[in-house]
Amino acid sequence: MDRECCWDREVIELADCPEIGTGEEDLLVSKRQRTLEKCGDCPLFLNDLARLRDENNPLAPIMTDFLADFRRQKTQIQSLVSFLDNKTLEIRFLHELGQVLQSSVDLDEVLSVALTAITSGKGFGMNRAFLLLCDREDGILKGYLGLGPRNQEEASQVWNEIIQSDMDLQTLAKNFRLNKLSSERAKFHDILELLTVPLSNKDHILVKTLDGKRPVLVEGAFQHPDVPPELARLLGVDSFLAMPLISRNRRVGMIIADNCITRRTITDEDMHSLETFSFPVAFAIERASLYDKLHVELERVTEAGKKLKEQQELIVRMENMALVGRITSSIAHSVRNPLMIIGGFARSMLKKSPASDSKHTFIESIVAETRQLEGVLDEILNYSDSLYPTRDFWDVNQLVETALHDTADVLTSHGYATFYSPDNNLPHVYIDFKQLSNCLRTVLHNDITGIGTDRSISISSQCGNDCVILRIEDSSRHISQAELDHLLVPFSETHELGAGLGLALCKTMLEKQGIPFVAQAEQFNGIRYTITLPTRKEEQS
Amino acid sequence: MSRLLVVDDEANIRLLYSEELQDEGYDVVTAASSAEAIETLQSGAFDLAVLDIKLKNESGIELLQKLVKERHDMPVILCSAFSCYKDDFSAWLADGYVVKSGDLTELKQEIARVLAKKAQKLKAEAK
Repeated sequence: MDRECCWDREVIELADCPEIGTGEEDLLVSKRQRTLEKCGDCPLFLNDLARLRDENNPLAPIMTDFLADFRRQKTQIQSLVSFLDNKTLEIRFLHELGQVLQSSVDLDEVLSVALTAITSGKGFGMNRAFLLLCDREDGILKGYLGLGPRNQEEASQVWNEIIQSDMDLQTLAKNFRLNKLSSERAKFHDILELLTVPLSNKDHILVKTLDGKRPVLVEGAFQHPDVPPELARLLGVDSFLAMPLISRNRRVGMIIADNCITRRTITDEDMHSLETFSFPVAFAIERASLYDKLHVELERVTEAGKKLKEQQELIVRMENMALVGRITSSIAHSVRNPLMIIGGFARSMLKKSPASDSKHTFIESIVAETRQLEGVLDEILNYSDSLYPTRDFWDVNQLVETALHDTADVLTSHGYATFYSPDNNLPHVYIDFKQLSNCLRTVLHNDITGIGTDRSISISSQCGNDCVILRIEDSSRHISQAELDHLLVPFSETHELGAGLGLALCKTMLEKQGIPFVAQAEQFNGIRYTITLPTRKEEQS
Repeated sequence: MSRLLVVDDEANIRLLYSEELQDEGYDVVTAASSAEAIETLQSGAFDLAVLDIKLKNESGIELLQKLVKERHDMPVILCSAFSCYKDDFSAWLADGYVVKSGDLTELKQEIARVLAKKAQKLKAEAK
């Protein structure tokens, strides 16, 4: 018999066997290996076997049976190997996923990984997935995040990008979280908004699935008696998978996945794989949510601790204030009353004594000196008051208008005109209103001792960087910068300049509140005071 | 002639107030303590009271609260050596507040203002 096949030769050439290709050269010298791997599928071998059958060789039918059984077993083995390969990949994938899910306490990271795993080709390969979370406080199941293309065009673009970048699952998820999470949430905003179901609606398929704690593969959604038509229309697919997320018997949320682009059939195997995956996802989501809550509580506790510390400091300050208050009250009472009596009676006597009386001048001196002493007493008491400022947010316009109102009589009687245009768009400033009013009044009173002909004071307010800048310009006072600086030193001899302690105390008071107070003298243009009022609490020193 | 009650624990201050306010045309009666003030008030009607906040071991604020409760038709002006009482909520019950000074102009103006306000109120009620 002429043989076409090379099965009886120990060594062959590459051209002798149509089944052997480049890279399989080792089979050319190994007859046994070549026979097992190639002859069963080789047409030349089958031709030889047919010829044996034609020649009524008794081994031919036996060989044919052996060959058929060999081929069947070979196919089975190949199928098993393929199955094992898939399972190995799946286990490796779940292991990788589990590592990320177990280590993360960031809700967005967990969700990004979960949805990327479901929709990525290297993961479960679904086209689109929605994540719904249970809001226990509001008693609703609410759409939280969606992932996947909305149309064929976007799908082609995204999938091409993924293939070209060849990123692993973890990198894909990270990339998604950093670059696409917000846009993806916005992209599916309309669907997510409508994917809200009250948990009390026990007949709704999603709630029913959640309560049943088992995944449901919905087919024929548009005609399905349990699927509300609006849900089918919203998803726009005939087949979808609803996967409840349950952690420690608690309902965490749900994943809805579908193949809205490829329309590939969702198999039972897909469902079982996703079910395995849903447990670590649910657990990770719950842990991340709890961590978020813990974080909020921690912040609350920290804030409460901070407030408690502030309160403790306040109590200490209040005790100090009470002490200062008692001392100053005592001084006020024991000094002011005698001063008042001396000054009062002196005034009374002055009224009744004629100008020609030789004692008239003496009495006038008593009145003047007691007035001066009362002024000093007021300033000392104001200073003690300023040691413990009470700050809050106040309107600058109200501050200026109050000071102008309080000083209006005195300023008018000295022939002064004041100008202020309130700006209603100014932010509130963080100050001790009482002290600031006192300072403004002092500055305005200080100005009336001017000797210039232009008796006008203009006040302006301007919004700055985290502050409001208040400027008071008095064109009537003409003193040098050195003299003005002298006025700003507490307890320096300033009487002849007519300002007493006022300006120095203002500067001290404001500086204690961390508020810059600048007084600039221009020999022929008067004085400009600049007060920078903070608009933020932390700006305080 | 308006009748005023001046309550202050300092004899010289009572004397000064009497002199000055009588010069302004008021009928002035003085008291040195809360008890004396209440006793005086029972003896007749007063148009206004001027109270010192610190009365030896007593509080003028307590007397103020009592007066507001029992003699709500009589306005009260608080006089103090210290301006911090202006921020005391209880002091807000008073119709006026004046920091003590040898120059009684502010006190006199405040008395005139409060009495005018009272007269206006009575006039409106009579209508």
